[in-house]
Amino acid sequence: MAFPGSGLAKGLAVTLRTMTRRSVTAQYPDVKPELPPRSRGVIALMEENCTVCMLCARECPDWCIYIDSHKETIPAPPGGRERARNVLDRFAIDFSLCMYCGICIEVCPFDALFWTPEFEYAELDIRDMTHEKGRLGEWMATVPAPPADDPHGARAKEVDAARKSADRAEATDAASPDAAKPDAAPSGGDEPAVDT
Amino acid sequence: MASVLPRILHAGRLAGVTTQRTVGVGAGADLVGSAEGLATQDMVLNIGPQHPSTHGVLRLRITLDGERIIDAEPVVGYMHRGAEKLFEVRDYRQIIVLANRHDWLSAFANELGVVLAAERMLGMEVPVRAVWARTLLAEMNRVLNHLMFLGSYPLEVGAITPVFYAFRERETIQAVMEEVSGGRMHYMFNRVGGLKEELPAGWTGRARTAIHDVRRRLPDIENLIMGNEIFRARTKGVGVLSQELVHAYGVSGPIARASGVDLDLRRDEPYLAYGELDVPVVTRADGDCLARFQCLMSQVKVSLDLADQCLDRLTTLPPGPINTRLPKVLKVPEGSTYAWTENPLGLNGYYLVSRGEKTPWRLKLRSASFNNIQVLSELLPGTLVADMVAILGSMFFVVGDIDK
Repeated sequence: MAFPGSGLAKGLAVTLRTMTRRSVTAQYPDVKPELPPRSRGVIALMEENCTVCMLCARECPDWCIYIDSHKETIPAPPGGRERARNVLDRFAIDFSLCMYCGICIEVCPFDALFWTPEFEYAELDIRDMTHEKGRLGEWMATVPAPPADDPHGARAKEVDAARKSADRAEATDAASPDAAKPDAAPSGGDEPAVDT
Repeated sequence: MASVLPRILHAGRLAGVTTQRTVGVGAGADLVGSAEGLATQDMVLNIGPQHPSTHGVLRLRITLDGERIIDAEPVVGYMHRGAEKLFEVRDYRQIIVLANRHDWLSAFANELGVVLAAERMLGMEVPVRAVWARTLLAEMNRVLNHLMFLGSYPLEVGAITPVFYAFRERETIQAVMEEVSGGRMHYMFNRVGGLKEELPAGWTGRARTAIHDVRRRLPDIENLIMGNEIFRARTKGVGVLSQELVHAYGVSGPIARASGVDLDLRRDEPYLAYGELDVPVVTRADGDCLARFQCLMSQVKVSLDLADQCLDRLTTLPPGPINTRLPKVLKVPEGSTYAWTENPLGLNGYYLVSRGEKTPWRLKLRSASFNNIQVLSELLPGTLVADMVAILGSMFFVVGDIDK
């Protein structure tokens, strides 16, 4: 501080310099923000994958997932026995309670739940924050592909196992093209890396 | 006559004691000019629980003699959420959700304490890459936290501009934090045994750019406010906290270091990868509001340097995992441990007692702000009301961290 007011002058110099630069303001409603694929915006549900195992509802720290289901018996095929199957009646997430921790997505053993970066679902009534399975299913279209992993990281065992079985199936297909079975492709062969 | 006079209910100095006073024209007028001066009664003023300068719901019961504070009592607990009790009925992954919320400005550092305690009890070896990535993210979280206060503190003493610069820098770092963890505040990225997911490809490069950008633009905030005569007049020599008080109240973090207490767990009891890093501890001797602010500013620079060193190591480490495989039900063996970390705001400790269940039997939380705020009752008496805001702001607290 050589002369009185030099501190103020220094601050004003910063302001002047900033005035010559482009502003960092984002024009939000007109220009949508670019969010990374891992962004935790809203939870999407792929209903076909859900087996009503209830793990997500049980593991949720604030119990904001509601699941209703009933059992359906599939009539016995010739020579078999009849089987029972769970049918999902209701799957709802109350986003007014959700803490966005992502534990439900982590524990889902059949990849029925996904994060998507969508965030524009504010409501005027808190009761409208409960999204039923139809609405949760709509979010599926917005789920981005997961980002590639850092090359320094070790691949998950599941990825290697899935790749190996996919390669093996391909080899069998090539060896006997006539005997190609429709279910030869192993399930989950081209799925994204499973979280460990 | 008495019915015409306005009657004012006046709170006494002690809680629960109310005295009724009738104030009329000329009350005490006969004392004007006498040796005793104007007879005034102490006024009890409640600052908060809803006051802009308390960022949240901290309440201060202040007894005033004119403009001078003669007694101050922080009344805490308006935001008590019973975190410790909730920890007891949550498994270790669910605890992380709650733990990163008590101090919402240092979520990553809070998660860290929980997982360090659990890992120590389990005797778990954490992969090297996870250790360095955690150190990196903890330092970036520290920068985010300090930038918040570097912006909000000038705002409280009347300088509006620095907060915009601070938030520009915060946004830069938050972008990389969001890319890696998916969250902007509650990262939820720690797991017992490592991190949740592998870092995205190319993230280390983007993190380096962000750190570089923040370091380059940091002098803007410094030039704006550090030399400012008005800011210095409001903060220099105001609210001097002595070393004795720091020790008596268990004050920690940048506030304690601004009073010359040379304690930093990153250097003194290294956890994560800090043992392999040379952590310069920032201290100031003055202990006033300005020293506390300067301490914060210097710590940002230190943290940016540390983050750079972590990135250097992270990119040269041999390929390896970033987490360990856990059993389906994680049970921590019977016993107890105390894990403390150098959180951005001070010492943060978790005392974990386990009885071999999948939930802790007790998880005691020692949060920095709770101790730091208690010293206000010693610091405020004798100062003016206008200084109160300057002192309160310079204690750098988060109300959630006080009330837990």
